[in-house]
Amino acid sequence: MSKTAFRLNVNGQDYEVLVEPRKLLSDVIRDDIGLTGTHVGCEHGVCGACTVLIEGKPQRSCLVFAIQARGQSIRTIEDVADENGDYSTLQQMLHEEHGLQCGFCTPGIVLTMEAFLKSNPDPSEEEIREALSGNLCRCTGYQNIVKAVQKTILRGHEEDKEIASL
Amino acid sequence: MNQTNDKTAFLNAGKTLLRKEDRRLLTGHGRFTDDIHVVGELHACFVRSTYPHAKISALNTAEASAAPGVITIVTAEDLSEWTTTLRLAPPIEGLLPIEMTALPKDKVRFYGDLIACVIATDRYLAEDAAELVIVEYEPLEAVTGMFAAMEEDAPLVDEELGSNMISHQSFETKSIQKIMKAADRIVESTFATARQTHLPIETRGCIAEWDEGSQHLTMHIGNQAPHPFRSVLAGRLKLRESQVTIVVPDVGGGFGQKIALYREELIVAALARHLKRPVRWREDRMENMLASSHAREDFARTRAAVDSNGRIIGLMLELIEDFGAYCFYPANYLARVVAMILTGPYDIGEYAYDVKVVLTNKCGNGPMRAPMAITSWIMDGTIDNIARELELDPVQVRRLNMLADSAYPHTMATGETMEDINPGTALEKGLESIDYKNFRKRQLDDRTRGVYRGIGICSVVESTTYGSKFYKAAGIPGSGHECAWVKVDPSGEVRASAGVMSTGQGYETAFSQAVAEGLGVDPKDVAIKLGNTDVAPYGMGSRGARGATAGGGTVYLAAAAVREKALAIAAKLLGLNSADHLSIQEGRVCWFFDGKIQETELTLSDIARTAYLDPTSLPDGMEPGLEVTKAYDPPPMTYSNSCHFCEVVVEVNSGIVKIERYLVVENCGNVLSTQIVEGQQLGAISMGLSGSMFEHMIYDESGYNQTGLLSEYMMATASELPEIEIISVATPNRRTPIGLKGMAEGGVMGSIGAVSNAVSDALAPFSVVIDSHPISPLSLRQKLRKSH
Ligand code: FES
Ligand code: FES
Repeated sequence: MSKTAFRLNVNGQDYEVLVEPRKLLSDVIRDDIGLTGTHVGCEHGVCGACTVLIEGKPQRSCLVFAIQARGQSIRTIEDVADENGDYSTLQQMLHEEHGLQCGFCTPGIVLTMEAFLKSNPDPSEEEIREALSGNLCRCTGYQNIVKAVQKTILRGHEEDKEIASL
Repeated sequence: MNQTNDKTAFLNAGKTLLRKEDRRLLTGHGRFTDDIHVVGELHACFVRSTYPHAKISALNTAEASAAPGVITIVTAEDLSEWTTTLRLAPPIEGLLPIEMTALPKDKVRFYGDLIACVIATDRYLAEDAAELVIVEYEPLEAVTGMFAAMEEDAPLVDEELGSNMISHQSFETKSIQKIMKAADRIVESTFATARQTHLPIETRGCIAEWDEGSQHLTMHIGNQAPHPFRSVLAGRLKLRESQVTIVVPDVGGGFGQKIALYREELIVAALARHLKRPVRWREDRMENMLASSHAREDFARTRAAVDSNGRIIGLMLELIEDFGAYCFYPANYLARVVAMILTGPYDIGEYAYDVKVVLTNKCGNGPMRAPMAITSWIMDGTIDNIARELELDPVQVRRLNMLADSAYPHTMATGETMEDINPGTALEKGLESIDYKNFRKRQLDDRTRGVYRGIGICSVVESTTYGSKFYKAAGIPGSGHECAWVKVDPSGEVRASAGVMSTGQGYETAFSQAVAEGLGVDPKDVAIKLGNTDVAPYGMGSRGARGATAGGGTVYLAAAAVREKALAIAAKLLGLNSADHLSIQEGRVCWFFDGKIQETELTLSDIARTAYLDPTSLPDGMEPGLEVTKAYDPPPMTYSNSCHFCEVVVEVNSGIVKIERYLVVENCGNVLSTQIVEGQQLGAISMGLSGSMFEHMIYDESGYNQTGLLSEYMMATASELPEIEIISVATPNRRTPIGLKGMAEGGVMGSIGAVSNAVSDALAPFSVVIDSHPISPLSLRQKLRKSH
């Protein structure tokens, strides 16, 4: 199969890639662009480990051909902490609440939950669990991930209050 | 070593230290096997059997070999030149010896079995070519069930064995037969776990690099036991062990699946050497489900002789395990432990077991987090059945049969000695916390409203950290010792290593705490180096909940030995006769006298500098340098205990089980890192619940696996798992360093039993008893229908 050259925008940066049109976005991000934080756990859209944000929406990069993502903005786990390496609130809470063990599922969970909290800033525990149910984790039993998300929300409320009181 | 193992004596162990591993893993900078690339690497893809059991009559690779990007395609014959045959023949009574080649020569034994290996310049191209390999099969009848496998005229999985029963072991106490014959009442119960798989979210994979110049093989692979893995790999490649280095990067979960040297990994290594090019392989999820390693699928039957109060006067266990088609481990190893520790916290002096392990045409079994998972369900499920038949309260029957906490150390009928556990306390504490007293009333009230609520209790005595003596006594090959080193560099920096390897358990953090405790430094200042066999000392790896006690314990002992040497140097430098009143705290030498502590001028860095750079200032006869390597063989068995309580409501129309409350009372001794231990307990309980409620590797009657996709194999998600409450009633072990015990498997054992017993309790009005897994809505509806 012949290769095609195209441009992908990942974490605000343009990358020129030359790959077969059948090559999955997950593989191109990992192998051609070299951002290996996006993990592949199943390659059939079930585990959620490969989740990236495409135009802000969580998508399974193993279900998308890289060429289909041309012209769209893609965000991966490497772009969640800020340029100084400071964690997002969710990352900080996952750290404090022991929301990860082997960490293989973690990038997918961080991106899924970051997007979820944007569109649903005050979810119930049930809604959090529901939103998380597309990401499989074999290590944690999810409990501490749920806690971390809840604490992220609380922290958000506290910050809102601080801003309001200014 | 601290003599009392009193928890308050420790400064660093038992605290929460936020994990050191987290930063890289949270920001996408972890380094897993598949993240590593080597210049010039080639890609492997395996051709696999599409039949459950068949002779390979012809293999045509011509078209595939001509496909784009293909470098070579190798078959059994090629590999028999480059690799030796694995022969598993430990001298164990009742266990048949077995052999396995790198690739099957003339027949495949299960759906997904290996046939050939394609090497190409690109993974996609390797996969394309694999599809072009033409295999002609002569199908054979498959044997897919453990009972069918034991029939006289059953097809043989391995003709060489002459039987499918690869292991048969039994034991009985002197009077058990007499007691069973004379008993007024015998309560019989059965239990069946479903076939499951480990399902680490990172599949297997490896990269093999052959250095032709130095004739050296480097293997990057996610593995739990790098040194034993190296020994086997070197042997099977006919290399000296010094010619092989195993490098384990971050590992995305193991749970027992990443211990053995599998055939794929052997083949990749052999090809790297043969082709003199790096070769990589990443297992896809379907391969992982079909052909990596499976687990469980046990059937157990107990017969309990009881008196009218429910007191057990004799117990017999019959256990059969379906081991699949290949053995990467001695086949007796998993089931044997179940039989050895079955009676656990109960006072049962007369006991017998009969354990059979059979081969079938399915993917081979291996140890999965709690290989003895079924144990506590069998025992506490038996107790519940006794209570039901005698119309007694199940708690009353437990109390009647349970050993008093003061009875430990206690030796079971099998000769296993348990010590420093408190099952009675755990049970009572849990009953109180879950308000058992009022539960039965709530249950009755709810029933009148058509709500079927049940409670399940499961006491666990968990065997952890198997020492060498246990292996010897149980007739299982292996050593239980572990090895570690701790070094203080001339700069004062502290490094440590051990032979165990983390697959997500946070050893970098927990072992830092062990070093901190032993040496007297801040855990943040300790660097833990694991997973490279040229750096780490030869150890037995991570399995059997031994990470903390064997791994962390040995690290602690090495650190304590370094401290001793450092203090001897300090005494000399301070002009003291002895180091008796000196200690190190946060890297500084302190002098304590009359209950007061005083800091001295000296730091660990000063001592290290002297040790390396000014050896003539050392005490007479002392070796320069500041490092110690220690090996430690833990007690035969370090027992932990816990008691699990699960409250469920079963919707009888749909068969859906809702877990309303889950509580566990744990005694896993003193711990290194509180948060990590809780994380392990949550993970283990979740794995047990998921396994017993949802997971099932399904083979149809002809031997085809119906669950090759992750979407077909149900694993619990965040929506199905409950919030778990943990209460600690820890007592330290008297013999291990720091009083540590293992604990990473008991959660599986307890949750399997607790949820099964809870559903049976809820459905008591329908006389439905859970005797098989998974407890799926479908299976419950069937059981409920039958009960009408
Ligand atoms: S790898 Fe994409 S969902 Fe699993
Ligand atoms: S932390 Fe290991 S899979 Fe989630």
